[in-house]
This record gives sequence, structure tokens and C-alpha cells, in this order.
Amino acid sequence: MIKLIPKSMGNVLNSHSIKLLDEEQQAINDRLDRVAKSQDRVAFSELFKFFAPKIRSHGLNKFRQEVMAMELVQETMMLVWRKAVQFDASKGKASTWIYTIMRNYSFDMLRKIQSNKEDLMSEDLWTTIDVEEEGDDQDHLQSRNILSFIDELPALQKEVVQEIYINDKTQQELADQLSVPLGTIKSRLRLAMAKLRQMMEEKS
Amino acid sequence: MIKFHPSQHMLKVFSAGDLPLSLSLAMSAHIELCPDCAAQAERFEALLSEDIWQEHDVENADFGDMLQAIMAKPLETQIKPTVPAKVMTHIAGKDYLLPTAFRQFKELKWSGFGAISRARVISDEQNVRASLLHIGKNGRIPEHHHKGYELTLLLSGCFSDETGTYHKGDFIWIDGDKSHSPYTEEGCLCYAVQDAPLHFVRGMSKVLNPLGNLIY
Repeated sequence: MIKLIPKSMGNVLNSHSIKLLDEEQQAINDRLDRVAKSQDRVAFSELFKFFAPKIRSHGLNKFRQEVMAMELVQETMMLVWRKAVQFDASKGKASTWIYTIMRNYSFDMLRKIQSNKEDLMSEDLWTTIDVEEEGDDQDHLQSRNILSFIDELPALQKEVVQEIYINDKTQQELADQLSVPLGTIKSRLRLAMAKLRQMMEEKS
Repeated sequence: MIKFHPSQHMLKVFSAGDLPLSLSLAMSAHIELCPDCAAQAERFEALLSEDIWQEHDVENADFGDMLQAIMAKPLETQIKPTVPAKVMTHIAGKDYLLPTAFRQFKELKWSGFGAISRARVISDEQNVRASLLHIGKNGRIPEHHHKGYELTLLLSGCFSDETGTYHKGDFIWIDGDKSHSPYTEEGCLCYAVQDAPLHFVRGMSKVLNPLGNLIY
């Protein structure tokens, strides 16, 4: 059972501290860890007992409806259970991780209520830092790759791609410069793009 | 170097999940580019989390068989979340990689007027317009002012107005009665959110007032 602060101490703490006790934080981390490692039902039940009433209370403040508050509890705790392995203690406290899961779900719920949209944007707005860094690496890698692919194009196609995409010429300017019809530029560019796409698909 | 940032208050409201999608997109995209604001947002998440979980006077409730129903589901075993794909948008002869927050916007519809092109991102929030805005080389948006706020997040390139020069990642918030006329030499791509249509104030530009509704 997660150690709860006795009621009598609660008031004192409310006026002196805005923090959960360190032991409480540790207890939450330990239990989430046990859920992740061994699907520990006792540990998860304790997390549920601790968090469910607080999530419901937060949901009532936010949505003013019991049904929605209960949906928030159910979906948040479901995600905590199912995604427990994704929690990484080196990046923060388990209680904060659970908070962000609740925050994300409630953002999507609000959007559904206010705009009637079920676009589940929260996962795009709050991705983890790690994931973004990986994405960036890949982008750099990708632009490096594209440059080397452009080098491999046949000379005439390469010229068109470089002038238009790297030197920012318009197709007409390039046609004038090379004294060829605009249609020739267009078809070289089309061939070059098809080839680049093919190279990228093969290499990735 | 990013010089213009969202306020602490906005970071906090965003971290609480209480900003509308239009502004949340801008916050997320800025945070992706700005390690300082990313750290601040994380700090607010931790503080907000403690505020909620330390509440001891919550009423208990009957959760029925919710706990059992949840534990009947299988756990996911995959540790790494899948890497999000970012999306590109093609405008004015260039491909731009959009921030992660925009990865659902795969089919932006660009429409143009002179050097200015716009792709609407959000139009379902009351009075709010959110768009990607591309201004071509040497383009200028005629001097205008807003009745509400205008947020501009610079995603690529740079532009200047009467107040200064802005660079990639800058989060530029203009309130109420100020007017400005952004100009860009090299061209730029922005994400812009407004809560009231633009109103052009000067000379010939006045004939452009219908344009105000097109741009934003």
C-alpha cells in the first residue's frame, strides 16, 4: 500500500509544502516498475487506489460531468497499465509521467467536446524529447542522402534539380538560360523526381 | 539564436493542456526548436503534477469493476515508441520539413496572392484562424493591425518589421492595437494564429482589406 499522509498531517503539509513526500514518489516509481517488469497486479491496484480518485476529482473540475470524469480515470489508468514499459525513470518521476498521460487524454477529450474533432492531437504536441532527437538525426541523414542522390542523377536531370531546388530558379528562367522549351525543363524535372523517389525508396 | 519566447504563463497553461489547439501547435513547435522553453515546460509539468497528486481531500468514489477490466487487457511489450514521421510541405518551389506537431497535416492546400501563400491549418475554433504562411523573396505584408492578438512563429527564413528582425524559432506575440508590416528579403515560412481578421490601415493597402481574410 502506498503510504498516504495521515489526515492530521495533511493540513500541515498543505500549508508548508506543495510536494508529495519523497517516500511517496519513490513508492509510486517502485510500483510502476513492478507493473512494467512483471505485470504486478497488487502494485497496479495500489496505484489505482492512489490515483483514480484524484484523476476523477480533476476531471470533475475540468468537465463538470461525472461520466467524463470517469472516462478520464478509465482511459488514463488503462494507458498507465498498458504502457508501463515505456516509463523511463531516468527522465523523471512516475507521478509526472502519469500526469502527462492524463493531461494528453483530457486535451483530446476537450477537443472532441469543443470542436467535435477526434484527431487525437496530443501525441503530436507532446512527444518525448528522445523521439524528437531521433527524428532530427534522421532528417539530417535524409537531406544528406538526397544531396548524394542528386549527384547520381544523369547530368541533364541533375542540372535541372540543382538550378530549381538549390539555386531557386524558376522553370521559365532555367528554360531561357539553357535555351530549351519550358516543356523540356518540366519533363527533365519529372524524370529526375521519379528517379530520386526510386533511389530513396531503395535505400531506406 | 532564438530571441523571442512565449511567456511563462503561456508555457504553464500549455503544459496543463488548457490552450486551444491553434496555440498549442505553436507552443509545441517552438519547444521543439528551443531547449530553454522545453526545460521550462518540463518543470511546469512536474509542478502541475504535484499540485494535483498532493491533493488529499478528494472524495472517494465507486469505480465498480474498472480496475479488473483494465487488468484484463494485455500490456504492451514494445519499449520504444515509434519515431514520429514529420511531414514536408511544398511551396514556392521548395520543400519544408514541418515541426512534429504538424505531422497530421499531410495535405495542406496552399493558395496564393502575389508573394504571399497561405495554407489554412485550423478553422474550427471560434474567431480564430491558424495558417501556415509563406512570403516569397522581397515580399511584404502591407501594414495592418489586429483587433485581437496575432501570434507568428517563424519556422524558416527570417523577416523584419518596425520592431526588429526575427529568426527561425522566434515566437512573436502581438496584442491588440499595434500595427506592423513584416518584410522578408530571403523569403520565410511562418505559422500564424489570429483571433480576429486583419485590418489594413494605410493608403492603397486599404483596398486590400478583403486580402486580410485571405492571408490569415
